[in-house]
Amino acid sequence: MSASLSESFTIPVGPLHVALEEPMYFRVDVEGETITGVDINAGHVHRGIEYLATKRSLAQNVVLTERICSLCSNSHPESFALAVETIGGLKVPERGAYLRVIAGELKRVASNLFNVAILAHLVGYEALFMHVMQVREDAQDLKEAVFGNRMNLGAICIGGTRYDLDGETTDIFVASLDRLEPKIREILSTYKTNGSIQRRTREVGVLRTDDAEACGVVGPVARASGLHHDIREAAPYHVYDRLPPEVLVLEEGDVWSRALIRLHEALDAIRILRAALKDLPDGPVNLGEIPEIPPGRAVSRSEAPRGELLYYLKTGETEEPERLKWRVPSFPNWDALTFMLNGAKVADIAIIVNSIDPCISCTER
Amino acid sequence: MNFLSLFARNLIEGPYTDPFPFKPAPTAKRFRGKIAFDPVTCEACRQCERVCPAGAIRFTRTKDGLEFDCWHDSCVFCGNCEFHCPTGAIHQTVDWHLAHGQADKFSAVEHGLIPFKVCPSCGGKALDSAPATAGITPALSAEEAGELRALCPKCRAKFIKARRTRT
Repeated sequence: MSASLSESFTIPVGPLHVALEEPMYFRVDVEGETITGVDINAGHVHRGIEYLATKRSLAQNVVLTERICSLCSNSHPESFALAVETIGGLKVPERGAYLRVIAGELKRVASNLFNVAILAHLVGYEALFMHVMQVREDAQDLKEAVFGNRMNLGAICIGGTRYDLDGETTDIFVASLDRLEPKIREILSTYKTNGSIQRRTREVGVLRTDDAEACGVVGPVARASGLHHDIREAAPYHVYDRLPPEVLVLEEGDVWSRALIRLHEALDAIRILRAALKDLPDGPVNLGEIPEIPPGRAVSRSEAPRGELLYYLKTGETEEPERLKWRVPSFPNWDALTFMLNGAKVADIAIIVNSIDPCISCTER
Repeated sequence: MNFLSLFARNLIEGPYTDPFPFKPAPTAKRFRGKIAFDPVTCEACRQCERVCPAGAIRFTRTKDGLEFDCWHDSCVFCGNCEFHCPTGAIHQTVDWHLAHGQADKFSAVEHGLIPFKVCPSCGGKALDSAPATAGITPALSAEEAGELRALCPKCRAKFIKARRTRT
């Protein structure tokens, strides 16, 4: 018994585990308390959505893709609609494109706050967790007031958006952003200075820049490891060429920098929202009746809160697509966990896994 | 962040959660809830049935007319039916009180009937659905709309053609 701490073991973490957000299974080799090897096993939430998508019309798939993932629920139909519009040669009206940016950025605020809150929970700082979730509740209430639902906005349709802003909802929007911004700034300064957070997250789960590049990581994980990569900037869609994001890149590559990137992006999203609300042009929000989409193939990309989301769509003679495939940001980021977990402590597994904001329901669909 | 002041505020203001079911919970005006159907304004184009991704909407032809059913337990509240409806006959209310006993799971249905009528012009049997008036210019007067509504689809087409040649 006395020698047991220095012996090596193989321990299972997941698929059902108290500290994991989603069902994933890691087989972890440990030497004492240090991780020496990780084996990742997938396939616990496969729902067959790719197959379902080929059995539904394009208009029905806008709703189906929205239900792939709850936190990126706007980015999926957004990318899907972009792919359909590329095949059909459709041009989204100016106001519709602005409204799409507004829906996407509001989702980014709520989504990033959620991940940062879970980090506080895993650190064991429950008071901060409750507070961040309460701040996020402002964003949730705003979504309910403007879109009618807290998670599934139903904002996107092929050829534009389904919703429109009037004077009343714009006022609610502006007032809510005014409440959110100082609170998020306060949270950011807490994460920068708080001792408990720093001790558990700094230099934990480090992903070096060359490893990040080799794994092809995307989103906040890439930007925290020194890779300057944001689809909104690299290949602007909607009106992001007029509302460019301020891309923050950090070099440390640890859990802490990923949290800081997320908080910075929540604040940057509020700046983009304010600019978009100010510049919002008049006109139609969508194309109305959508012409028949011809057979064709298209690839579209968008920046979901977790990173680059890529859609491939192939349409045929029928109104159902022949093939719909997506590569979600969690897919490359998940692979990078083997690098982050190597040499880490067993107690940090949950914090490191949470730091990539894994979404297994997207990845395994 | 000063957690002491946060605690003090939370002590004074109490819980953030709503005291539902002891008091009514506030609901947003734009909330997308339970489906409501109005058979009087329905054109019977069945577009809602086509775009519903959950298969919650079904039209059935019976001896009384065209029956509409929307199963609330199958509905995903996406609002596709409302968005694609040309007349606004189907819409989402702000009602989210959908809890029910196990025994009622198949009867939690929004039901509507578009009955049959007799066409005053040709005497044929037709559905008493709202006419498609979106593309007609100049817009119909209330009297004309009532007249058009009473007709069967074939006589409606004749009516619109005759009106076009008149103007």
